[in-house]
Amino acid sequence: MSHHASPARLSRRSVLNVLLSVGVLGWLASVLYPVIRYLTPLPLVGPGGPVQLTRSEVTKIERDKFAIVPVGRRRVLVLEDSEGELRALDAKCTHEGCTVKYMPRDSLIVCACHNGRFDLQGRVVAGPPPKPLATYAVQRDEEGVIKVTV
Amino acid sequence: MSTARADKRLYRWIDERYGVSPLIEFLRHKEVPLGAHPLFWYFLGGTTLFFFAVQIVSGVLLLVYYQPGENTSYESIRYITTKVPFGWLVRSVHCWSAHLMIVSLVVHMLSTMMLKAYRPPRELTWLTGFLLFNLALGFGFSGYLLPWNELAFFATAVGTDSVKSVPVVGNWLLQVMRGGPDVTINTVYRFFALHICILPILTVGLITVHLIFIQRQGMAPPIAKHVAPRGMRFFPNFALRDLLWWILCLAALLVLALLLPYGPGIPGVEWELGQKADPLAPAYPGIKPEWYFLWIYQLLKEFPPHLFGLEGPQVCLAVVSLLMTTWALVPWLDRKARRDEPSPAFTDFGVGAMLFITFLMLKAWDIGAGAVADGGFPDPAAVARPCAWILLAVAVAVTAVRIAVYRDRWFVFSGAAVLHAVLHGLVGLPYLAAGAIAAAAAALATGFTVARGRTSAMPAGGGH
Ligand code: HEM
Ligand code: FES
Repeated sequence: MSHHASPARLSRRSVLNVLLSVGVLGWLASVLYPVIRYLTPLPLVGPGGPVQLTRSEVTKIERDKFAIVPVGRRRVLVLEDSEGELRALDAKCTHEGCTVKYMPRDSLIVCACHNGRFDLQGRVVAGPPPKPLATYAVQRDEEGVIKVTV
Repeated sequence: MSTARADKRLYRWIDERYGVSPLIEFLRHKEVPLGAHPLFWYFLGGTTLFFFAVQIVSGVLLLVYYQPGENTSYESIRYITTKVPFGWLVRSVHCWSAHLMIVSLVVHMLSTMMLKAYRPPRELTWLTGFLLFNLALGFGFSGYLLPWNELAFFATAVGTDSVKSVPVVGNWLLQVMRGGPDVTINTVYRFFALHICILPILTVGLITVHLIFIQRQGMAPPIAKHVAPRGMRFFPNFALRDLLWWILCLAALLVLALLLPYGPGIPGVEWELGQKADPLAPAYPGIKPEWYFLWIYQLLKEFPPHLFGLEGPQVCLAVVSLLMTTWALVPWLDRKARRDEPSPAFTDFGVGAMLFITFLMLKAWDIGAGAVADGGFPDPAAVARPCAWILLAVAVAVTAVRIAVYRDRWFVFSGAAVLHAVLHGLVGLPYLAAGAIAAAAAALATGFTVARGRTSAMPAGGGH
């Protein structure tokens, strides 16, 4: 009913209120948007193709049976299993992101942070990790050069 | 005699310009309630403030040499501790005082919990205090990464990773925190800005609000005693005691910092620099966060990979958030205290929460694990058993004091915490199953006491 009492004044006030709210919201958005964009890190670009392991990484695999190498923006665990086969898996534990390691004695990949354990296919065998480790392609040519593709 | 006249003249000079007499008059009448509880509990907030001041002074001194950066973070801290005269002392003071500040903050929070000082009209004082507690945890977490050593690297990787479980914005938030998908030197830059600029500004602002609230309302009188208690004049009687206590705190801080410059060597309370962070090195056993995060760290271990169709860490984060929110809302949940009646259930809620956290911390320290082979892990059952016994002993001692000294008669929550530990550690049930049984038992017992209409408060949803 009050609509009819003084339609002109009421609608002018509500129009102004709407305009004001829109203005404030617009102002907030124009401040927040650049700040949010500023804080969001740029996506990292790494090499897309296969990555060749360095001499010292290869030596490390010979000595420790595994090495953790940067491939693109990932950390990759390259290991040599008991049959001498090479395997490459994501080195970042799927639980809370610690770096895993290979235990040649038990043929297991373990994460020291909360006792996560994976088999050499990356499947979880024990502990809290919810997902398997991703596996990647790895080749060794006749000269012993190792290449990983993610 | 002429100095006394000079003093008066100076006072007059200031008073004429700034009108300080009302302020002095106000201080004369400010009082601290006496006789209800030991005066000691009223010193803890001031103690926390004192250690915060030490943090600012020692932190600014560290800033003179500390430089965040891939090749400087670790190196500059090493330079401070090995080359700069008394640099080791400044760092030691900063680290010790950080821990002592959190200790006094926790005790301060518990004492206001036990005294029910949060009841109306002081709900917002509790809430600002709770936020300050969170900021202090933020200080500890961000400062821990700054030396860019191995321990800090992994602790931060794990600590930030749980952020990804936040619904909807989790992944974005994780990236913003880390400055990329992983913990790198970019994370150090962001944490550095937090640690030395954003958190200090927020903290000083909130402390101001917290203190203004206290100033306006005075100290909470004892609950359910409708007589005005005796008071002690704040100035100078209480303030001088405060000062004496601060001098004792400073002395204790310096003794600790001098004798144990790298901490007492308990995991979570040590700051040996160790190796520089190397993202390509595997994590090693014994990666632990600081002691006040240990309970969350241990809780993460207790969750299976999947639960209720969610991932374990997601459920864990939800549980921790629920517990923290409950803690923040205590002034509104505690209806008895709102009516200024004794509220034994919430006293017991505080004790129960402490027992719950203590048990997790004991487990996180792998108490009773003995020597463990390289790459091996302590047998969980062998750890849970001695921890449960220790918790039982602590609970018995605390309960005895509560019965004998405080005449407490309400033990449902502390009882549930003990039941949880016994079922898990001594009977051998999984941690979560034992917890579910204990929680159900507590809910039943609470419902039972309420149904019998006994004078016991209900924590939540008690109805009228
Ligand atoms: C509540 C206050 C504070 C707490 C709880 C706190 C806590 C910490 C912690 C735990 C560390 C790591 C120590 C280590 O492992 O080496 C640290 C480092 C550091 N903090 Fe703070 N801090 C606080 C305030 C401040 C303030 C106000 C500043 C400067 C304005 C500051 C500057 C620094 C610097 C430069 C470092 C790196 C040096 C080092 O790691 O030893 N802190 N802080
Ligand atoms: S981070 Fe690997 S088990 Fe938790």
